[in-house]
Amino acid sequence: MYMLEAINIKKNFNKLEVLKGVSLQVRQGEVISIIGPSGSGKSTFLRCLIGLEAIDDGFVKIKGKEVNTYRDGCTEMGMVFQQFNLFPHKTVLENIIEAPLVVKKMEKEGAIEIAEELLEKVGLLDKRDVYPSRLSGGQQQRVAIARALAMQPDIMLFDEPTSSLDPELVGEVLEVIKDLALEKITMLVVTHEMGFAREVSDRVVFMDEGEVLADTTPEEIFLQPEHARIKAFLDKVF
Amino acid sequence: MDYILNVTGFILEGAKVTGQLYLITAVFSVLLGIMCAIGKISRFRLLRIIIGFYTWVFRGTPLLLQLFFTYYGLPVLGITLEPFQAAAITFIINYAAYFTEIFRAGIESIGKGQYEAARVLGLNYRQTMFRIIIPQTVRRVLPPVSNEAINLVKDSALVSVIGMTDLLRAARQVLNRDFTITPFIIAAILYLLISSVIVNVFRKLEERFSIYE
Repeated sequence: MYMLEAINIKKNFNKLEVLKGVSLQVRQGEVISIIGPSGSGKSTFLRCLIGLEAIDDGFVKIKGKEVNTYRDGCTEMGMVFQQFNLFPHKTVLENIIEAPLVVKKMEKEGAIEIAEELLEKVGLLDKRDVYPSRLSGGQQQRVAIARALAMQPDIMLFDEPTSSLDPELVGEVLEVIKDLALEKITMLVVTHEMGFAREVSDRVVFMDEGEVLADTTPEEIFLQPEHARIKAFLDKVF
Repeated sequence: MDYILNVTGFILEGAKVTGQLYLITAVFSVLLGIMCAIGKISRFRLLRIIIGFYTWVFRGTPLLLQLFFTYYGLPVLGITLEPFQAAAITFIINYAAYFTEIFRAGIESIGKGQYEAARVLGLNYRQTMFRIIIPQTVRRVLPPVSNEAINLVKDSALVSVIGMTDLLRAARQVLNRDFTITPFIIAAILYLLISSVIVNVFRKLEERFSIYE
């Protein structure tokens, strides 16, 4: 049984077909990078999975069960955004314990304990009581990762997690994501970091114009891309 | 000197009425404003239209006219109110109309990323509004709310026209009796004092809420 299954997902924005029937199967513990040119529908695909956008056709299954994440929300998945989207009026710790307290109705002590463990993991325990505005982009994104993990999701979605970071801050965020990959957390990562995709993923999915052109191992896609469009894309980014 | 203290004492009696009206209006118009602002961004179209009509009418007509209507107009319909009741109701409804638009604009100034972050963490609409969105709008609406708070001090003087002995009317009564402008000067100083306190309260609030910026 798959952890997550997307079957023939279609999405239009007005007349524009953004997803033309995207299917993907994700096993427990798999790390999948989704790459491709801008506007290929990668982010929209993630947003459809977690229910930030309604899908026009197709369906999503989590552990074999069909779900309507747009209508019901989805606590099995956590998401990290390109723009971090931390809550600016809450400290680092308050950002992380917010959902465990409010959604899971966890005891405050227990939530703080988990939050501190996660902060330790992302290397920011000393920033516990600081407001996000005092943090660098890379630190904010690491807090955002900790915040998503605090809900203990089965699947983590990363939507271009390093795209709005200064180049020197990309590394620290990728390190954290790599650590999660080693822990065998199921992850879908939309990224433009080809080195990361190649090194960390179990599979790489190449999307273009709303379709999956390739879904294979990193070696295959980076060393012998069979599709002309993939070749052209890789030539451009390397 | 005795005379000034005497007159000030009398005017302060009027200031008490002004103060009561001020507090009651401040508390309830803000609450009503928050509710209407949430209504105005809700997905219920009819509710949005009704609230839009309400703010259009109450922001588009003079407060003095509204006050006359509540005090002299409603008795025609069989509703008779004490001057203080009429004043409080009118002021609350009038100021809430302004607060509705201020709060609505404040809420809409929060980016959609905040809603999305809350949603993927599992917060429902209510939790998102009250724990994430509205607390962030507080800092942003403080400057316009502070303007309204000062306006309210001065607008409260309008109640003298429906026979309430507020700060200004008390001053005028002394003036009519003694033929001196001293009471007006005292009244002006009292208004300035009240306004200064309010300005300072808002400055402190803005400082407190800017810690996260």
